[in-house]
Amino acid sequence: MVSLARRNLFHDKLRFVITIAGVAFAVTLVFVQVGLFLGLLDNASVTIENIDADLWVTSRNTPNVDFAHTFPESYVQRVRSVPGVARADNLIVWFMQLSLPTGAQEGTLVYALEDFKAWNLPWSVIEGHVEDLPRGDFFFLDDSATRRYGPFAVGQHREISERRLKIIGRTDAARSFTTTPIAFMDTALAQELSYQALRGNTTYVLVKLAPGADVAAVRAEIGRRLPYNDVFTKAEWAQRSRAYWVANTGIGLNTYLTVFLGILVGVVVVALTLYTSTMEHLKEFGTVKAIGGSNADIYRILAEQSVIAAVLGFAVGAVFALAAGPGMEKAGLKLIITPDFGAIVLVGTVLLCLAASMVSFRKVAALDPALVFRG
Amino acid sequence: MTVLTSQNVVKRFTEGKQTVEVLKGVSLDASRGEIVALEGPSGSGKTTFLSILGCILTPTEGRVVVDGQEVDLSRPGDLPAIRRRSIGFVFQQFNLFPALSAVENVEYSLNVRGVKGSAARREAERVLDAVGLADRKAFLPRDLSGGQKQRVAIARALAGAPPLLLADEPTANLDSHAGRQVLELFRDLAKRENRALVIVTHDPIVRSIADRVAVIHDGLLAA
Ligand SMILES: Nc1ncnc2c1ncn2[C@@H]1O[C@H](COP(=O)(O)OP(=O)(O)OP(=O)(O)O)[C@@H](O)[C@H]1O
Ligand SMILES: [Mg+2]
Repeated sequence: MVSLARRNLFHDKLRFVITIAGVAFAVTLVFVQVGLFLGLLDNASVTIENIDADLWVTSRNTPNVDFAHTFPESYVQRVRSVPGVARADNLIVWFMQLSLPTGAQEGTLVYALEDFKAWNLPWSVIEGHVEDLPRGDFFFLDDSATRRYGPFAVGQHREISERRLKIIGRTDAARSFTTTPIAFMDTALAQELSYQALRGNTTYVLVKLAPGADVAAVRAEIGRRLPYNDVFTKAEWAQRSRAYWVANTGIGLNTYLTVFLGILVGVVVVALTLYTSTMEHLKEFGTVKAIGGSNADIYRILAEQSVIAAVLGFAVGAVFALAAGPGMEKAGLKLIITPDFGAIVLVGTVLLCLAASMVSFRKVAALDPALVFRG
Repeated sequence: MTVLTSQNVVKRFTEGKQTVEVLKGVSLDASRGEIVALEGPSGSGKTTFLSILGCILTPTEGRVVVDGQEVDLSRPGDLPAIRRRSIGFVFQQFNLFPALSAVENVEYSLNVRGVKGSAARREAERVLDAVGLADRKAFLPRDLSGGQKQRVAIARALAGAPPLLLADEPTANLDSHAGRQVLELFRDLAKRENRALVIVTHDPIVRSIADRVAVIHDGLLAA
């Protein structure tokens, strides 16, 4: 089979390159924008996703995991007594002040537990033993803190809430949406440091269900026993934390807008280059019709051209986006591009390019083959 | 055997409030192996008539039968199928596909006609050999002379064995030497392969190769 579509597409190399560049530009933009968006959102719920809890008890109307409010730590007893609960512990998430050796003050988001191991927190330890945390004025710090606090090492000291604490471990991948670095310490120490707010209080109760327990029933029972708290499943709580940032910052709208603009640019470039190409080859399309080609034959030519442009443009754009990942990582930005999302972008690119070819198709479908006999 | 029958073909064009009757009742037949030259002054309606015979335009009135298939004026959607099956065209400006080589030009038109794969390639090579371009098969049209381009076009028209060949001023873009060569080749092949050939022309050489000359004048065939 001879492909007039492919031959014509490759015959005009400059226009072909422009078409591919247009698609690639759009694809890169969508990947980077959505990838950054997903990366930022991932930070908003990364601790929730990794902590090994089935249910989270929060104070009423807590909007996201970073903005915790206190309630009495003794509530955990009521949770433990609910049938179907295998384990329940207090988790404190609290914002504190950290003094740097330079004297500058920075914020830190403290995660405090009595038994870190039991809840898979922190989930990625680079150095140190979390079991040692209760043994003194110790804390773990996540490596991402380097950007805010400068370099640090295990064995050094930093002041948190005006108390000298020793860094006894480093973690990786613990992030907050606000980019406030995360520290890990024992519950009792955290309560001492923020005595006013945290004495006798906690901010969350983590719940692990017994095997075979009915999630809905346990949750309802906890809700009944703690009427002034909220209970969320892990997935709901992660979703709630993310949704807060999407709704309350510009990132949601910003992402939609750039994705829309990227798509618009891509579609317009493809539609225009395909259309100018079609106009230049109008006489050839007339010849195809004169020798008996049907509108389906014509559409096949245009569709083949737009699918080639879509697939090659997608490939180039995806390579660019993936290549941008490591650089973004260095800048402290996480770019998340999943295979699922890639597949959606590919299908979307092909469909939009086919739609863009319709402009040309309408023109050729209306073409009178009698023009082949005219000058 | 008659391949083409046309009776009392009338064609009117309406442009706004003006209506012109370009063809006023023209009848023309052609049989297999027969070569008909269609002459007439500029604007007399030759191209219009050829387009109707080629099922590219529909007549306003009259009857056209190509290879046993009657053109149904109420079903213009059937025309492409008749063109695919039964008609090969040669145009004044060659109308080759610039991005396709000589053999691909022929092969592609066979693909459109429904002949696919290696059968199409073999037939394309056969007709290119027949028009004497065996050594130019891989050439793009821009690397061929005018006469060679028109020979590729003739090969394309012959390929797939349509019984009716229609050509509109096939020599107008060629010098008289190349024009004569192309016409003689065209005649020989049409005769050998037993096709009916209608050539619209101003070129006096065509008369010398035609079996019959029809002259159109002011929308009517001159006696
Ligand atoms: N699509 C159309 N709409 C309106 N008028 C048309 C159309 N096609 C042809 N005509 C008219 O029909 C007449 C005959 O045109 P045609 O092209 O058939 O002449 P011709 O004999 O082939 O002339 P030439 O020798 O110059 O090629 C012309 O007056 C032309 O204006
Ligand atoms: Mg003409």
